[in-house]
Amino acid sequence: MPKQNLVETHNLTKKYGNVRCVSSVNMQVPPGAIYGFLGPNGAGKSTTLKMILGLVRPTEGNITLFGIPVNEKNRIKLLTQTGSLIESPSYYGHLTGEENLRIMQTLKGCSVKDIDEVLKIVRLDGARQKLVNHYSLGMKQRLGLAAALLGFPSLLILDEPTNGLDPAGIQEMRELIRSLPDTYGMTILVSSHLLSEIDQMADHVGIIRKGELVYQNTLESLHSHAKSRIALRVSHTAIAMDLLRQDGIEISQDEDYLLLPMMEDSYVAHLCRRLIAQNISLYRIEKREKSLEDIFLSLTGKETSL
Amino acid sequence: MITLKTEFQKIKRRKLGLTMFALTGIQFVWILWATKSPNEKDLAQGWLNLLHTLPLLNVIMMPTIMSVLASRLSDLEHKGNTYKQLRTLRRPGILFDAKVFCGFLFIAAISAVQILFLLVLGYHYHYTDTLDLRYYMLTLLLNFACCFSLYLLQLDLSLLFFNQMIPLVVGLCGSLLGLILMYIKMYSFLPWGGFLSCALVGMDWNIETRVVTYFYREHSTIELCAMGMVFVWIAIFYMAGKIAFTRKEI
Repeated sequence: MPKQNLVETHNLTKKYGNVRCVSSVNMQVPPGAIYGFLGPNGAGKSTTLKMILGLVRPTEGNITLFGIPVNEKNRIKLLTQTGSLIESPSYYGHLTGEENLRIMQTLKGCSVKDIDEVLKIVRLDGARQKLVNHYSLGMKQRLGLAAALLGFPSLLILDEPTNGLDPAGIQEMRELIRSLPDTYGMTILVSSHLLSEIDQMADHVGIIRKGELVYQNTLESLHSHAKSRIALRVSHTAIAMDLLRQDGIEISQDEDYLLLPMMEDSYVAHLCRRLIAQNISLYRIEKREKSLEDIFLSLTGKETSL
Repeated sequence: MITLKTEFQKIKRRKLGLTMFALTGIQFVWILWATKSPNEKDLAQGWLNLLHTLPLLNVIMMPTIMSVLASRLSDLEHKGNTYKQLRTLRRPGILFDAKVFCGFLFIAAISAVQILFLLVLGYHYHYTDTLDLRYYMLTLLLNFACCFSLYLLQLDLSLLFFNQMIPLVVGLCGSLLGLILMYIKMYSFLPWGGFLSCALVGMDWNIETRVVTYFYREHSTIELCAMGMVFVWIAIFYMAGKIAFTRKEI
């Protein structure tokens, strides 16, 4: 029996006037996954996550959390099992890190001991008595994550958690997020506009483009789309193409290059001999790899800003 | 109660109590100055004089004080972008009610301290007229209601606008309006004029003898309507604020 998804959205739509910011999104986040929600800026990631958290009302569609359809009555009860960090961290600058967490702990109704533990996890235990106004952006971000971790919820929703962090901070945050499912059994829904970040963090991926979920599957499956090809540059492209097609090879053209599927080295040598025998000069033989980035761009469109 | 508890956790180091005490303290200094060196005539209607002075000071100062109170309670949420987190933990209506109740407690304390100050002052001067405590208690309640209606108006604005200058300017304008329009009857129907319609003591100034006489007012029907308007404003500002806050998307 398949495990129940922790988050499911059905035709989730948000319109502002006539503009559809999110359009019929059917997201499925399996338990224990790190689901990377990927898309260019303005694609609708934050709006989707806000709808899941009840901060924005959907125009159409519905949301299921932990297998239960969310409505106004049960929303808060369901959300007590979640932690969230949406865009920038939320904090009271005039209070210390510990005092901030005390407020969240009071509202979440979890144990006071959790405060010590989450401060240790995000490595802020040394700065617990410092006013948050005196924290760096990275520290504030980690405090936001600590607040989300209070009560050790089974679902963590993080919207661009590495925004504004320096490279070391990004790596630290990434490693921390990656460790959470194994250490605390959490499911993580994390959004980013950076493919490399999701690639290094997630095991499931959903790609949103102009409000539409254009891809959703495991990251492994996305990688399998990243096929390698052999590119040939020859003197007579059209004749060479006909010749190779006679051999039943699936062939396509990319500007001056002929693109062939990957094949054994011996078969490549055989094809080269055939071309030369037909007086076709062979200028270049290259191995081309379709990167994850190419796939992402082909799904989201090159014109969109990353 | 838990949400209310967090409201008090949040205002730690904000010196909100001190700010309120300082602003109310200006009123006390004003009253002390106005009542200094009383003569026999002043002593003979001292308790009435105090009950007459307080609403006048409130109509001028309370709009500003209430705007400061509401703003100080709200801007910490705006500055820290906290509502997107709080709303995942509590219904917006409960968060709004916690702010309302937190302000309610501050206003109750301010109103009580005001009346206590008047009583201490009266006993200090040994006013010779009879102290009717019922009027003082009623003034306490009515002042509280007027302050609360203004607080709700200011809270609505403070929660609605990120820039706290807007509600603060509204508060200051309320105070200025009080100064300018104090003696216009219809002003009593406005949220800032409630203190006047709720004043229990009136004053008669004889232009020839230049003698001031204070008396307990008998409210006309229209004045009673203006008094009731304070409670209507409370209902309107509470409902409007709650609906707007609940519907607001983040």
